[in-house]
Amino acid sequence: MKLLLIEDDRIIADFVIKGLKEAGYAIEHASDGETGLARVISGNFDLAIIDIMLPRLDGLTVISKIRERKINLPIIILSARRSVDERISGLQSGSDDYLTKPFSFSELLARVEALLRRASQVVEASTLSIKDLEIDLLARSVTRSGKKIDLQPREFALLEYLIRNKGRVVSKTMIMERVWDYNFDPGTNVVEARISKLRDKIDKGSSDPLIHTIRGLGYVIK
Amino acid sequence: MFSILPDTLSFRLTLLYAIAFGIFLLTAFGLALLLVRTSMNNEINDDLTEDIIQYRNLIRNEGLEQGLGEIKRDVKPGSVDEFIKLFDTHGKNIYSSDPGAWKGLEINKDIISKIAAAPSAPDIYFETRKIPAREFETRIAYSMIGPDTIIQIGNSLEQTAAMLALLLSLFLISFLVVIPAAFIFGWFITRRAVSGIEKVSDAATAIKNGKLDSCVDIAGQSREIQNLVDTFNSMAHRIRELITEMREMIDNIAHDLRTPLGRIRMISEMTLSTVDNDACKSAAANTLEQCDKLLQYINATLDVAEAEAGVATGQYGPVDISAVTRDACDLYETIAEEKNIRFTTVLQPDCIVSGNRQNLQRMIANILDNALKYTPVNGNVDVHLDKDGKNIRISIADTGIGIPLSEQQRVFDRFFRCDQSRAEEGCGLGLSFSRAVARSHHGDILLTSTAGNGSEFIISIPSRL
Repeated sequence: MKLLLIEDDRIIADFVIKGLKEAGYAIEHASDGETGLARVISGNFDLAIIDIMLPRLDGLTVISKIRERKINLPIIILSARRSVDERISGLQSGSDDYLTKPFSFSELLARVEALLRRASQVVEASTLSIKDLEIDLLARSVTRSGKKIDLQPREFALLEYLIRNKGRVVSKTMIMERVWDYNFDPGTNVVEARISKLRDKIDKGSSDPLIHTIRGLGYVIK
Repeated sequence: MFSILPDTLSFRLTLLYAIAFGIFLLTAFGLALLLVRTSMNNEINDDLTEDIIQYRNLIRNEGLEQGLGEIKRDVKPGSVDEFIKLFDTHGKNIYSSDPGAWKGLEINKDIISKIAAAPSAPDIYFETRKIPAREFETRIAYSMIGPDTIIQIGNSLEQTAAMLALLLSLFLISFLVVIPAAFIFGWFITRRAVSGIEKVSDAATAIKNGKLDSCVDIAGQSREIQNLVDTFNSMAHRIRELITEMREMIDNIAHDLRTPLGRIRMISEMTLSTVDNDACKSAAANTLEQCDKLLQYINATLDVAEAEAGVATGQYGPVDISAVTRDACDLYETIAEEKNIRFTTVLQPDCIVSGNRQNLQRMIANILDNALKYTPVNGNVDVHLDKDGKNIRISIADTGIGIPLSEQQRVFDRFFRCDQSRAEEGCGLGLSFSRAVARSHHGDILLTSTAGNGSEFIISIPSRL
């Protein structure tokens, strides 16, 4: 998988490149809009991460030029604006995603993988599993070591989201956004409370707990 | 939009216009009636005077007997239009043209005594009198026409009365036609005059509702209105400029502060996931947490500023507020369970408001968050949502620490924190944000609370039609 990052912030770019390389991706970097657009046109990328505020040619223009050329490239848009810009929602195609700065790397990685998965159009499995925990997406049932576990709909959605990102840390923000459709942090740690309740049901009495808290980053199922 | 309500300027002006018109019309007709009446009276006086002089000459030249013969021929006995009566200075009757038709006719003794006092003077005295047997008033003249002979001659005022009646009906008809016409005309005139004001008012309402690019586009109005329109447009333009400046400033602050923060965050995150040293890991995690707090704080400040300025961020549309409230309650259920708080929700389903889903979510979550935060273990939190006429009413009541009366006014202020709330985490922006959101949705948040007994926040937002 070959990715392109168009970002002028040297420090952010370095870390993103380092992180994505560690995650096993080939990544190229352009630090201004013009160079970035030229790379997109000449190279054969699977996905691009484009910042909105860029020198020489701004990110929105780059994206519209890519679309004009009918290059079907999934794009993750990075923006310093706090709310989804109307101009961006106008440009966004179905295969794009949007991330506000500052973002956590784990969130970027999760979005990259989700977009690539969608682009490759892999047929979704109807069951997901990790170790001895198995969830059936159609029957909406959960079993651990063959024993049925009763979950509320939101708990099921939370577990499903964790398992889809198994082995990867998901942040509180990501959980709020994906499970509750909340784009803000509502103060009291409601996610923590939910996780601990889910943990009670999944890991209780087990010698091998699946859900882990990574301080400062979020939660991971592994 | 205009209305014919009694308190509108259009209605008042039209009414005044019609009243003024009515008064003018009334005065004009009054004067006309007076004029007609006077001139007709004068005409009859002239006729009577002419007759008296003629008869006086007749009697002087031909004697009373002969003259009376002429007079009898002149005034038909039994005439209902006129009569002649001759009598001496003592009132003794000499001749009467018709005692039947003019029954009840009396002699004005004052006039007779005046005539008798100066028998040589040919003065003619007039009076208007109602005679019981006759329908109309009669104009009567007295004068000396011969030796010891006084004439009383009268003419019915039937024609004058008929003329006046005609004039009166004419007046009534024109009144009935002119007053509605004055109303319509006045309405038309005032509508034209205030249409400019209404356009300005409409534009102001649009700006108030967040349509900042509204301006008034009219020409050909009177100078006063045109001045108002011009001033309004330049004011709207200035507001637009200020809002744009503010937006840019907010974006700049957001960018300038968040860029270095983003870098710190990224560095800490990478450190956290790469180093193996526990002390380093802890330091990185701490940095990350504080970064997030600072970011949250910056964002909250900017959000309140934007919400209070009514700058619409994000998309507006129909929002199922029942579902939003249900989701928020669902989100906080676990917190309530952990604190063993009795959490009851009674929500009327399918209540729709028009607005921004994200901001409404936050508004409700903020208040719910407070309710659960400040309610001690084993307390109650009740959430009610119902439709109260045109408004959706969401009540969030708790049995928490409550808010003292002295602080109730200020809890919605930015950065204000009650003495008792300082122990808890927070930045004092949640309620100001919530109220700004409610107000930007044409609603409000009310608070009733007693310290120690709990608080009730009532959000009301107009229902979508």
